[in-house]
Amino acid sequence: MKISPKELELKTRLGPSKFSASGFMGKCSTPLEELIANDKKRINFLGISAENLAKELKLAYDKAQGASGAEIKIKVNFVAKFFESRGKIPSPFSGHGTFEKGETVLTNKKTKKHIIITKLGIDMIRLYSFFQGYGNRYRIDPAFVTEFISAKNL
Amino acid sequence: MFYSIITPVLFLMSCGVFLSLLLIFAEKKILNYGICNITINDGKKDIEVEGGGTLLSSLAENNIFIPSACGGRGSCAYCKVKIEHGGGIMSPIEKPSLDIKEIDLGIRLSCQVKVRESIKIQIPDTFFQVKRYKAVLSKKVMLTHDILRLEITLIEPQTISFKAGQYVQLESKDYMDVGSVMRAYSISSVPSDSTQIHLIIKKVPEGICTSWIFDSLKENEKISFLGPYGDFILANTNAPIIFIAGGSGMAPIWSILQDMLENGINRESFYFFGALTKEDLFYKNRLENLSQKLDRFYFIPALSNEHKNSDWSGETGLITDIVKKYIPNTSNYEAYLCGSPGMINACVLALTETGISKDNIYYDKFA
Repeated sequence: MKISPKELELKTRLGPSKFSASGFMGKCSTPLEELIANDKKRINFLGISAENLAKELKLAYDKAQGASGAEIKIKVNFVAKFFESRGKIPSPFSGHGTFEKGETVLTNKKTKKHIIITKLGIDMIRLYSFFQGYGNRYRIDPAFVTEFISAKNL
Repeated sequence: MFYSIITPVLFLMSCGVFLSLLLIFAEKKILNYGICNITINDGKKDIEVEGGGTLLSSLAENNIFIPSACGGRGSCAYCKVKIEHGGGIMSPIEKPSLDIKEIDLGIRLSCQVKVRESIKIQIPDTFFQVKRYKAVLSKKVMLTHDILRLEITLIEPQTISFKAGQYVQLESKDYMDVGSVMRAYSISSVPSDSTQIHLIIKKVPEGICTSWIFDSLKENEKISFLGPYGDFILANTNAPIIFIAGGSGMAPIWSILQDMLENGINRESFYFFGALTKEDLFYKNRLENLSQKLDRFYFIPALSNEHKNSDWSGETGLITDIVKKYIPNTSNYEAYLCGSPGMINACVLALTETGISKDNIYYDKFA
């Protein structure tokens, strides 16, 4: 399969770098195109657009950030907590600038599962439907977010 | 058949390689830009450099170190300078890192600007004092489960001159196979002790530099850093002060407070320290001792997520609410904030609601 220099550069940027120790793919061996296609298929099946999903994640991120590190209830069964970090991280997709490094941990108290939301993670979902590699610390499982979106408001 | 296909393919590939090499050769040898001048801050400093290099590297070769964390890839956007003349057209790599106001002002990423002609630039005057320091880690002290203090003794130069509130860029060793990285950390020690600096650092999940610091860096190991940088320093006024910082954001505030004590600056000042639980509070005794020595200094720690059965008898809740409780009218105050962009934004909003002018709010965003 041919690979353009631009695609090759993107693959390099998605790997471990001076800004992300394990990269955006982690140990995931699924090719990028397949990973994105699989996640797109999943969100289509779940009946939600990547844009709306990103919007909901941003709301949770902002609410938690506003609570300055205290755990807050976001929806029934869902709590979020913000962890601040110094510095910025550039998007691996060139042309999208840099993003603050803080992270919000969104937990489903019923299932005990959680995801870690970052501003960069939200942007990559919104623009590229890229939810990051399977098993990666910052991977956002579309099914988890769908459960979050359909949960009752407080 | 095989040869009839492979021959033109090889021919085309060879042409491509030849043309690329020709371009590199032309850039280096034929396109000789000669000696170019870089005029800095209206002639405060003039340097001559060999044309063709990047502005960032040309300045570094002349011991002017612009902050940078990505090694000149145009991805960290730290190396901004104002170009008043020359510099060529903006590259597509730069645009996303600059807002419209910055573009209008002529701000560029110095790692992406090629010196092909004489250039006039503006940088903060403080960059002239920045040096590369070789040092040794004398002590590494854990302050909480994820915050530590590094005590660094200088080797060469042997002393550093800085202002309380400034920061340095620490250079990591090659760790996790991604090469060395540079990261900014505020100095927490007092400027009068010029033979060493202390840094207070919080562990960043997946962070390369902090993983190196927490997991690999050992006492007596040689390290290097660039500095001092930054303009987060105490203004020379008599206005009462509000300090707000939590976690490693305490570093510059602690340096400023010690400096105030040493220099007899006895302005009325409140330090609101926000933490989640008692375990996240550090330097509590030091700050309480300081309030004995600076009779107009008040230390107010507040916990936002303390356990229900805790014996904590101090303030609880969000730091913005605590500030409002103690100082309902902030109109004649100066505020100094250090923390995440979210924390800063929330504090700026809360403070301006109670009367303080935005011009009197100084902050060091963790960004």
